This record gives sequence, C-alpha cells and structure tokens, in this order.
Amino acid sequence: MAFWTTLLIIHGLLGVTLLGAITHQTVAVWLPVRAAAGSFVTRFRAVSGQSYAVAVIVLYVLTAIMGAWIYTRYRIGPRLTLEQQGYWKTFGAFELKEHFVAIGLAVLPAYWYYWRKPLSQEHNAARAGLTTFLCFIVWYGFIVGHLTNNIRGYA
Amino acid sequence: MISPRFPIFAITFAVAYAVIYVIAVEQNYALITYHPVSGQFELLTTPPKGGGRPAMYWYGWILTAGLGAFVIGLLAMLVPDHWVKRVWPAWAWIIPLAVFGVFAYLLRAYFMR
Repeated sequence: MAFWTTLLIIHGLLGVTLLGAITHQTVAVWLPVRAAAGSFVTRFRAVSGQSYAVAVIVLYVLTAIMGAWIYTRYRIGPRLTLEQQGYWKTFGAFELKEHFVAIGLAVLPAYWYYWRKPLSQEHNAARAGLTTFLCFIVWYGFIVGHLTNNIRGYA
Repeated sequence: MISPRFPIFAITFAVAYAVIYVIAVEQNYALITYHPVSGQFELLTTPPKGGGRPAMYWYGWILTAGLGAFVIGLLAMLVPDHWVKRVWPAWAWIIPLAVFGVFAYLLRAYFMR
C-alpha cells in the first residue's frame, strides 16, 4: 500500500508542477507583458512562455506515465469502490480524464513545433490554442484526480 | 534540423490520433490488453480472465491511436506543397477538442444518474 501511496504522491507533485508551468504559459500567451514587471500579477504574466514548452512536454509525459502506472491499482481497487457505492458522476468524470489525457499526448508534437525558436508571429493563434487546450486537460485532470482520490473523505 | 514538412506531420498526427482513439474506444480496437490482477500483457483485445478479474484496454487504445496516427502522419508528409499550405494549424487542437465532446456525449449516462 505504501508503494502505491508513494507513487500517487509523486504523480500529484508532478501534476502540481505541470499545472504551474502550463498555467504560467497560458496566461503569458494570452496576456503578454511588454513593459517592466511590477505587481505579482504582472510578473506572473511576464514569463517567457517559450522557456516552459519543453518542461511542459517532459512533465506531461512523466505525469501521464505515472498516472498510467497507478491506473492499474485504481482499476482493481478504488474503481470498484466507486461502482459499488454508486459514485457515478465521479466515475464518469474519471473516465473522461483518462480519455482527455490520452488525447492530450497527440497534440504534443504540434505544441512543441509551434513553440520552437524563433517564434513565428503568424503562429500566435496556433500557440495560444494548443497551450490553452493542454491547460484545460491539465486542470481537468488535476481537479478530477484530486476529487477521486478524496472520495471516501466526502462520504 | 527538422523537416519543413514536420508541421503537416504534427497536425495530421493530432487529428488522426484523436479520431482513431475514439473509434478504438468505441469498437474496442486495442493493440494490447493488460490484466492487472495477474500483471499479464496480451496482444490485441482479449477478454477478462473471469472471476471478476478485469481486463484493461486503455493502453491498447493509446497504442492503436498512436501507431495509426504515426503512419498517417508520415503519409501526410508526402502530399504536394500546395496542399501543405492549406492545412490550418488550429485543426491540431480543434478536432481533439471536438472528440472531447464526443466522449462527453458517450459517457453522459454517468452524469444523469
């Protein structure tokens, strides 16, 4: 049990790191700051989105691999609890998470390409779209994963 | 050095993967099956072993979609230049987003109980 708990904590920590990176990048791509950074919010927006791209890809893949590993345990334990106790909305939300994360892997090559140096102005919209799409997946996965993990606490 | 045709590969890969993935899930086209109780992998789609022991197809669906999309992406790199210029980069996230909608529809019963 301690083994799976350790894996789950590592998965969660990777998820938090990924969440921070992709959120920073998404804010920076939609609300870029061109003047010197002042307030906390301005500094949050002022990061170089480009510098996050490779980190986001590595973190996304690592988090997905860890999740895929833990999923084997989920399938023969927690999932049965969800079914037996009738947590159908949580069950469905988690099913969606696994599909969203799997499809998110597919956009990583395009995401990587459009964030390559030098950034092309003509691909601003593609960068914004791909980054926001990944940001949605990461936030959805994080929230649903967290809620599913805590489901017994809500019972 | 990256091929100037890499963007066509990347866009096609994203679109094809999303479409193949949803078909693979719906039709259960899994290249591998994992049996979590015994820790055993099997090629293609195999049924659960019985006795309440589940079979997992998710890894197989990902492999099916990844391999299929990779081949289609490579083939897309062979198309003429004037076709390449007409490919809209936004397809790389719009089609996968549309597939999310398909999954939300397919799984709607869980949210209506």
